[in-house]
Amino acid sequence: MTPLFSRISTRLLAFNLLLVFLPVAGLLYLDAYEKQLLEAQERSMVQQGRVLSAALSGRGRLQREEVGRVLRQLNLRLDSRLRVVDRDGTILGDTSLLGPREKKAAAPPASAPTRKNLLYRIGAFLVDLPKRLSPPVEPPPSPDREEAPGGRLDGREVRAALSGRYGNATRVSPEQRSVTLSSAIPIESDGAAVGAAVVSQSTYRILQDLYAIRLRIAKVCAASAAVALIFSLFVSATIARPLRALRDEAAAILDRRGRLRGTFRGIARRDEIGDLARALEELTVRLEDRQRGLESFASDVAHELKNPLASIRSAAEMLSEVRDPEERRRFLAVILEEVARMEQQVSQLAEVTRIDAGLEAEEQAAVPLNGLLSRIAERFRMRENGRVRFEITQPEQVLAVRASPARMTQVFENLFDNAASFSPDGGWVRVALARSPDGSVAVTVSDEGPGIPAAHHARIFDRFFSYRPEVPVNPAGSTRAWDSRSSERSSRATAAPSPPRTTRTGARHSP
Amino acid sequence: MELPGRIVAKVWRAFGLSAAAWHSASVKEPRGELVAVVEDEKNIRETVVFALKREGYRVNSYGDGAEAWNAFRQRLPDLAVLDILLPRMDGRELCRKLRSRSESLPIIFLTSKDEELDRVLGLELGADDYLCKPFSMRELVTRIKVLFRRASLAADPSARDETRMLRAGPLEIDGLRYTARWRGEALALTITEFLLLQALARHPGHVKTRQQLMEEAYPNDAYVSERTIDSHVKRLRRKFEERDAAFAGIETVHGMGYRWVESEKS
Repeated sequence: MTPLFSRISTRLLAFNLLLVFLPVAGLLYLDAYEKQLLEAQERSMVQQGRVLSAALSGRGRLQREEVGRVLRQLNLRLDSRLRVVDRDGTILGDTSLLGPREKKAAAPPASAPTRKNLLYRIGAFLVDLPKRLSPPVEPPPSPDREEAPGGRLDGREVRAALSGRYGNATRVSPEQRSVTLSSAIPIESDGAAVGAAVVSQSTYRILQDLYAIRLRIAKVCAASAAVALIFSLFVSATIARPLRALRDEAAAILDRRGRLRGTFRGIARRDEIGDLARALEELTVRLEDRQRGLESFASDVAHELKNPLASIRSAAEMLSEVRDPEERRRFLAVILEEVARMEQQVSQLAEVTRIDAGLEAEEQAAVPLNGLLSRIAERFRMRENGRVRFEITQPEQVLAVRASPARMTQVFENLFDNAASFSPDGGWVRVALARSPDGSVAVTVSDEGPGIPAAHHARIFDRFFSYRPEVPVNPAGSTRAWDSRSSERSSRATAAPSPPRTTRTGARHSP
Repeated sequence: MELPGRIVAKVWRAFGLSAAAWHSASVKEPRGELVAVVEDEKNIRETVVFALKREGYRVNSYGDGAEAWNAFRQRLPDLAVLDILLPRMDGRELCRKLRSRSESLPIIFLTSKDEELDRVLGLELGADDYLCKPFSMRELVTRIKVLFRRASLAADPSARDETRMLRAGPLEIDGLRYTARWRGEALALTITEFLLLQALARHPGHVKTRQQLMEEAYPNDAYVSERTIDSHVKRLRRKFEERDAAFAGIETVHGMGYRWVESEKS
């Protein structure tokens, strides 16, 4: 059974999730953000304290009524708890005792909806997991008490302010996750601290903001994870699955003996996977062609060698049975003749192999056939010295084919050679070059020799096909099959039918 | 040429020497049967003609199919040896034409390609036997003799030799006539198929290697490929299945060969 996620799909999913969670993980740790908020809150509190201190400074001993008036005015504009103490720490005024503020005094939202959200709890559990797994941390030392008996403030921040310095303190709110920040600013008169302005504010609101941000991030994270999952499944379906299909095809395409048993099925998609499938399909088609060619070659070789082998075997058997010297000589001659034939075939085989190996590597060029045929005909005129006459019919227009120049020369030399060798004395070898209606170029070489019977026309371009009339005009002559194979490989070649008494081998080459 | 041979033959016979010794030593008395050899390879053709004439047959030879058919239209031979790849008229076409003239004329095909053998075997041309080149001349001569014997015994239903009968369940093999019957129905077997079947059925349940089958089917030919045996067995199975779709009498023993399955006994 194919797993839902392949290795590549798993990697893609991990990559996508990493892309999502890396920034999220950073944001979940909002310590730095929280610290900034706390610093901003403290700065705000200090400013409020300074405002209060400035309002009460330079007036000598602090008066409770004056303090109360200033606090009432500020209470409308500020959201912190403001208290003023005299130089003994006695509280002279406290905004918390002035009643609810206007508008700003609205109760903070309850924390429950955010922190009880399932998504938040899952995120918090994951974030807190390292803390849960690690040993418990000792709680920080409990800060000093803020209030002293007798309605006095005796916290360290107050003591610092009363000594003329800025003081601050952080205190845990009872049964709350939030803390209370407290800042104390000295109130001076004649260069001496006559009291302190104490500003206190809970971090509850900051925590609420953080909770809300975490929840929003968790929502984005969950949505991203869902998108990453869908994307990964999509990628798996469009990349991993086609790749698996290609892998399965590749595994099934060879049989146990390593023989090709089919080809890759092409894929219509136009992406890289489609390109890969098409490349594999082309590769297998070419391999199949090659394999078919090799099998055909081996079969042709076997076929060509079996006939002389059959003659040799039969003659050898007869040789062992007959006693008549004349018959024995006759069978011995058959054996020698067939051995010579096999030697020739083996040489041809070596040459075919060499040509086949070299054809792919040979450079192709436009070969003008007019000049080539004229040059070859001239050479054969000189060679035959009038025994055979050559006639070339070709148009004014230069007709060229794209092929290996050396192979083209070899093909036509062999055709001329065959035609000349089978021609009777004084016979004509006629060569015609013309452009066919379909745009291809046709070269026809005909002679007045015994001709190739119609039964053999279909086999003219078979590898190793050889036809030898019983009484050849020139014993050296025979159609040499590799000629046609060369032409077929060099370009496209077809055989043309022959009229009686005329060897007519046509080679048609597409430009 | 033949006169000394005849004298020697008489001498050999007078002394009661073996047929094999006689076979290798002398020219036979003319048998009178006319054998046609159609083969475009001149040396093979002439050697076959020589060997058959030594056996006492009258032989006509032809270099292409059309020439042979022209002659056959005038007079059919008693047996034809045909090459498959023939000029002017293919051996298969010639075989079809011959079959249209005579259902009983024994025909032996000579092939030079293994795949050709497969193709010819699959075409149901109605040949009586097939030999792959390079074939043994002794094997060819033996097959021709067997075919003549089978043809002559087919014309004589009374001839029967119980000692040459072999029965294995529903299978009945007549070693004299080179014929076989499955559940009473005659099987149209080539000589090679008959020899393979006989070799398998002679020892039901015993595995016969391809080498052993080759030796039994081609006693005079040591150069037959194993693939040829597989082709013949495949063909043999098909002939049984044409008579009996559930036939499973010939089992392939992978890596070893074939065996006749005893469970086919009825």
